[in-house]
Amino acid sequence: MTDTATTLSGEKARIGSPSIAGFTEEGENLSPLNEDASPLGGDASKAHSHGAAAGIPQASRGERPTSYDLADFPALTGREEDWRFTPLKRLGGLHKAAPSADAPAVALAGSEGLALETVAMDDARVGSAGVPDDRVSANAWNAAKEATVLSIPAGAEGAEAILTIKGDSSEAAAQHVVIVAEPNSSSVVVLDHVGTAVLAQNVEVDVKEGAKLTLVSLQAWQNDAIHTSAQQAKVGKDAYYKHVAVTFGGDLVRLTPSARFDGPGAEAEMYGLYFADAGQHLEHRLLVDHNQPRCKSNVLYKGALQGKDAHTVWVGDVLIRKNAEGTDSYEANRNLVLTDGARADSVPNLEIETGQIEGAGHASTTGRFDDEHLFYLMARGIDEKTARRLVVRGFLNEIIQKIGVADLEDRLNETVEAELAATEN
Amino acid sequence: MTDQIAQETADPGVNNEILEKNPELHGIGNYEYGWSDKNDAGANAKRGIDEDVVRDISSKKGEPEWMLNLRLKGLKYFERKPMPTWGADLSGIDFDNIKYFVRSTEQQATTWEDLPDDIKNTYDKLGIPEAEKQRLVSGVAAQYESEVVYHQLREDLESQGVVFLDTDTALRDYPEVFQEYFGSVIPVGDNKFGSLNTAVWSGGSFVYVPKGVHVDIPLQAYFRINTENMGQFERTLIIADEDSYVHYIEGCTAPIYQSDSLHSAVVEIIVKKGARVRYTTIQNWSNNVYNLVTKRAICEEGATMEWVDGNIGSKVTMKYPAVYLVGEHAKGETLSIAFAGEGQHQDTGSKMVHIAPNTSSSIVAKSVARNGGRSAYRGLVQVREGAKGVKNSVVCDALLVDQISRSDTYPYIDVREDDVTMGHEATVSRVSEEQLFYLMSRGMAEDEAMAMIVRGFIEPIARELPMEYALELNRLIELQMEGSVG
Repeated sequence: MTDTATTLSGEKARIGSPSIAGFTEEGENLSPLNEDASPLGGDASKAHSHGAAAGIPQASRGERPTSYDLADFPALTGREEDWRFTPLKRLGGLHKAAPSADAPAVALAGSEGLALETVAMDDARVGSAGVPDDRVSANAWNAAKEATVLSIPAGAEGAEAILTIKGDSSEAAAQHVVIVAEPNSSSVVVLDHVGTAVLAQNVEVDVKEGAKLTLVSLQAWQNDAIHTSAQQAKVGKDAYYKHVAVTFGGDLVRLTPSARFDGPGAEAEMYGLYFADAGQHLEHRLLVDHNQPRCKSNVLYKGALQGKDAHTVWVGDVLIRKNAEGTDSYEANRNLVLTDGARADSVPNLEIETGQIEGAGHASTTGRFDDEHLFYLMARGIDEKTARRLVVRGFLNEIIQKIGVADLEDRLNETVEAELAATEN
Repeated sequence: MTDQIAQETADPGVNNEILEKNPELHGIGNYEYGWSDKNDAGANAKRGIDEDVVRDISSKKGEPEWMLNLRLKGLKYFERKPMPTWGADLSGIDFDNIKYFVRSTEQQATTWEDLPDDIKNTYDKLGIPEAEKQRLVSGVAAQYESEVVYHQLREDLESQGVVFLDTDTALRDYPEVFQEYFGSVIPVGDNKFGSLNTAVWSGGSFVYVPKGVHVDIPLQAYFRINTENMGQFERTLIIADEDSYVHYIEGCTAPIYQSDSLHSAVVEIIVKKGARVRYTTIQNWSNNVYNLVTKRAICEEGATMEWVDGNIGSKVTMKYPAVYLVGEHAKGETLSIAFAGEGQHQDTGSKMVHIAPNTSSSIVAKSVARNGGRSAYRGLVQVREGAKGVKNSVVCDALLVDQISRSDTYPYIDVREDDVTMGHEATVSRVSEEQLFYLMSRGMAEDEAMAMIVRGFIEPIARELPMEYALELNRLIELQMEGSVG
């Protein structure tokens, strides 16, 4: 090609080359965050015909491999479907070497009678609700030196526990947390992540039969923190699980909450709120696995973005398997892009293997705030600046008010205020 | 269609008990286009792909050197790109067993009578010459195996400067236009199957509509695979000059064989300022064709691109018609409908990329999965930085009519601009007992009622089709829905 191209002049020299901005000879790069060599040059060109790993694609999200053994997860290239939005360079090596530093300290404040236990990784409760489904999670599982366990006693009413997880080191660490809500208990548990850390975390949540648990995971890190957290929940028969992810801080945060049903008649609600500023990468990937009949799920994540290279990724996978008859499910993601230069990715996936369902749907919207709302408020004498704040606050408040812990709600409203004040400056 | 043909090609999956009880159903629910012609050219064609195959195709066509070089580059990309790690199971494709080029006749015909009898009979059975006679179309291209065997364009359009040729002839007659646009929308290394097409492309349509010309009756292309293990790699290039309009329709069928064939087309469309192009596909390949197609349009200022994409046949389809909106106020629209029956996987969708400000797009996708079939919507809507005032909406609805079929939705949304309005919505529903009961209580049989519900479900798309196609689609739905209940 090169030889011919040089003999052609001007316009003709671009034969077969692309005319669309951002295109190369290979079309678009699907994972611009993780640069990849062209198959016609460098190491990749020495690969076998049809590429190295030409397997059969997984037919379903449910087929993604899970294992406690790190060796079952190949090294990451950044082209994997579940990693292609994550800038691996900024992951602090959590996907490579075993994190060896001590885990951030965990302090408990809450209802009387609750206590944290520190147990060895061979405790029976470790592994009761989760199996790693990605390399970083498996890496953390193997590297964790101990596990922190919180149990809500059977039949407890309105128990409240705030676990402050305070990091003070930029050395890579692994952490393991297990929360067990015994049968017919009702409780609210908050994981409050503050300080700074390079942390790969696994959180297992075992919601037993008839229990009601609200778990709030708050990422209020300083701006240099790197945090991955696999938060896997097993939701028992007739149990109710509410998970609320709130992410403001950190340089890179990648949360992967999931809910798997362990008996019929259970309900899971997964809510989330994120606010990304310039340079922040905030990623939330969740999974609701309907593998039991007559369960309900509802997913709503709302996010705001502002500043150059603020990047949010939201991927919601809802699986409705063959035996999950009578499932009722809905998921939605709404993003508010407040300034230029920010990027919001939103992928609400839905896989349905039975027609015998009550209903299933999903929605995703991305945009700036509603000019009509703004007009409505301004027409009533509110200046534009205040009106904008009110609209954004109202947008995000829908999630905040689902938390049900008054102090925390106040704190989050203040954080939103502070973020908005930063927008205007 | 005669019963004889239907019997010969009876799908082994068809429930014989039902047919015995209901003799009137005989021939319904079978693939009607599954006959094959006797053919020596196909039987003797070489299998497998290497540089010699590519050089041979190029030299048979007497191509300029730059095209050969581009083909060879495509081959390199094809060999070195990995198989997709997402989407459908393509492990059944044996690239070494495929016949990459089959020449069925030496001479392109301009009257049907000039064609060899068996090829002519095939098109008669498909009803193409009849449609042309009735002036339902203003131009016809018929591709049989690797090359276009029949070509005709209405005289008045020709005199207005409209060009409608097979792509091989166009390369000879319009080399400059070709050099400017070939590979400009879908570059040589775009994706594995696009690269394969660049390496071994043959046939397809080349359309040029001059400034301001409105082609008011559709141009039609008809693609037929006859040889077992045939790979058909047509390449279509459509250029609609400023303020012009054209509607291009394609249909496709193939015989039923024991082993699989491959269809991997590339369609590039350039819609210039203020022009409008509508591209309609009714894909009805037999259930042993892998249909892996790259279709993409580039839309300049104020231009409109509309994809109407119906996927009924094939074993596996992976196809996501795309529109790149590069000029202000450009508009992209996709209407997509997929039926997945037994053994079928329809992985379809659309891609809208907003590069210029004030562009708009919409995707409406509907799918029906039945009898163990799998349908998936996979789409991307991307708003690039600087594309202010973009509007987009995506609506996908899926209908599941039983407990063994599957419906998936994978919508990717990537927004890099604050001033946008976009939304995605999807619903998956089943045909409710109430709907069925309502219709059946008015004297309808269950099958009939089910077909009516499905017709209503896809009506918003069917009404966008030319009438004879809408009728055809309705008929196909009835066939598809036959035996789907009870």
